[in-house]
Amino acid sequence: MINILALETTGKYGSAAVIKEDGSVYCASSETEMNHLKDIITISDEAVKAAGITKKELTHVAASAGPGSFTGIRIGVTTARTLGQMLGIPCIAVSSLEAMARRVLSDAVAAGALYVVPVINARRHQTYAGAWQAVFTSDGEKQSIVSEMPEKQYMIEDLLDELTGKVSENGGKSFFTGDGIDAYGEIIEGAFDAKGIRGQLILADEGIRYQDAGSVAEIALAKAERGDTLTYDRLLPEYMRLSEAEQRLRDGTLSDKIKKAR
Amino acid sequence: MKNGRHLTLGIETSCDETAVSVVADGRDILSNVISTQISIHTQFGGVVPEIASRRHLENINGVIDKALTDAGVCIGDIDLVGVTYGPGLVGALLIGVAAAKSIAYACDIPLVGVNHMHGHIAANYLEHHDLEPPFMSLVVSGGHTNIVNVPDYNRCEKIGGTRDDAAGEAFDKVARVIGLGYPGGPKVDKAAREGRRDAIDFKRVWLEPGSYDFSFSGLKTQALNYLNSERQAGREINVNDVAASFQEAVVEVIAEKAVRAAAEYGQKRIVMAGGVASNTRLRELISEKAAAEGIDVLRPSPVLCTDNGAMIASAAYYAYKAGERSGYELDAVPALEF
Ligand SMILES: [Zn+2]
Repeated sequence: MINILALETTGKYGSAAVIKEDGSVYCASSETEMNHLKDIITISDEAVKAAGITKKELTHVAASAGPGSFTGIRIGVTTARTLGQMLGIPCIAVSSLEAMARRVLSDAVAAGALYVVPVINARRHQTYAGAWQAVFTSDGEKQSIVSEMPEKQYMIEDLLDELTGKVSENGGKSFFTGDGIDAYGEIIEGAFDAKGIRGQLILADEGIRYQDAGSVAEIALAKAERGDTLTYDRLLPEYMRLSEAEQRLRDGTLSDKIKKAR
Repeated sequence: MKNGRHLTLGIETSCDETAVSVVADGRDILSNVISTQISIHTQFGGVVPEIASRRHLENINGVIDKALTDAGVCIGDIDLVGVTYGPGLVGALLIGVAAAKSIAYACDIPLVGVNHMHGHIAANYLEHHDLEPPFMSLVVSGGHTNIVNVPDYNRCEKIGGTRDDAAGEAFDKVARVIGLGYPGGPKVDKAAREGRRDAIDFKRVWLEPGSYDFSFSGLKTQALNYLNSERQAGREINVNDVAASFQEAVVEVIAEKAVRAAAEYGQKRIVMAGGVASNTRLRELISEKAAAEGIDVLRPSPVLCTDNGAMIASAAYYAYKAGERSGYELDAVPALEF
């Protein structure tokens, strides 16, 4: 028996989902922006109840471990770790970007896209992003995704350079998703325009554009079936970025005042 | 419950200590695990909030586990979870709050959110087993300088506080500029023992007559100006003298106002709390002044003066006994009032 509670708190709205062995998913989400800490247990409990189980029947707890809002990541990961510890069940780490790609997969495939590109806005032209290829298994039915460009921090311009290069060379449409569209939509369109491939760009509708626990749960189920799980203490955030202070320490640019005090 | 005793798990993550404790009947410490980050933040010259948040997350579950093991109990024995929900660094607070809510939910244990400053006062119940309210409390820590009237377990009436910097902040700032580094309080305290308290005439800021408030920013500026002009004049700075004189100017005002407050409210005891309550000179001076008025001074041992989970457990226990409960919607409140 598998019943996984999946938490997604890396974006604007928090959500929770329970997925069962048969793949059925039961979701609950926060109605208020950035209300993750306040809502996390309530929405988790709603999802558990919607699935018709009790919390003691949970077999795994999964978290979208990032990238995304640092604060959001911490709320989801701390909650998942502690629930795992207290309920005595394993944890599962899911990439927020992979879950975003998964969420739009059927729409992307329906639109004939080759690449799925989730982009999270990290401000000042920075993004957390990756690119996946939508593929079909031999039965031609079940969709899955394979990584095409690694998940990491990209300047939006660099991401677009590399991707439009691939599209120009290999053909195929690109399906963009994530709040990176809200922040850099014009830059994205401009880059495709510049290479004369504007027709090969699709932007996800707002209804499916943002993080959601449902697709986190789907990836978690696949991971649970493969035994790709962690003990609670091994579930860690994927910030994709050092803290500013650590970066400065590394670069040797901590302020003089602080250096003197050391 | 274990052996007929009520057990509270207390969680504290408001600043740079990840701390969890098990306390029996609100008074007896069964375990008190404190994972400090001081050595990590020292290289940055102070607490870096983002780093503190990251380390809390990595530490919290291991610290919870150790607190239960050290106490010789399992989570099923715990009757109540208490957690600091403010004031403090928001990113740090939310680790404790998220963990506490998860425990409460997973194990069906009642939850009480605790004001960190009430926790500091409650540290005294763990140290002095027969202490009961009413009393006057002096809470001095990195971020706070408050005089608080405590008529019963669950009422804390702030009658004076700082209008600008907390005493601890002033200590940190001055420690930094005279090269003592972080954490400033203990370092100034230590240097001051070797210095002359009357070497430099730093001003005492009393504010309006009758006020129990404090203001340390002017004093801080005066100290910085003094250091600047000495350096410009090419004179060598005696770090110990600066520390001793500066500390004296801070603690004299604090001690005087705390004793005056106790006397005016007819309290026979002053209960000290917070990190700066372990300052040697403050303890000396307040004891002297209080003795002259026939007032007792109590304070917790140094380990209970710093941030810890036991004080949160104790405060949670008394709040719980008075019927207080927090729901799963408990949130972190970084600027929580006293
Ligand atoms: Zn404190």
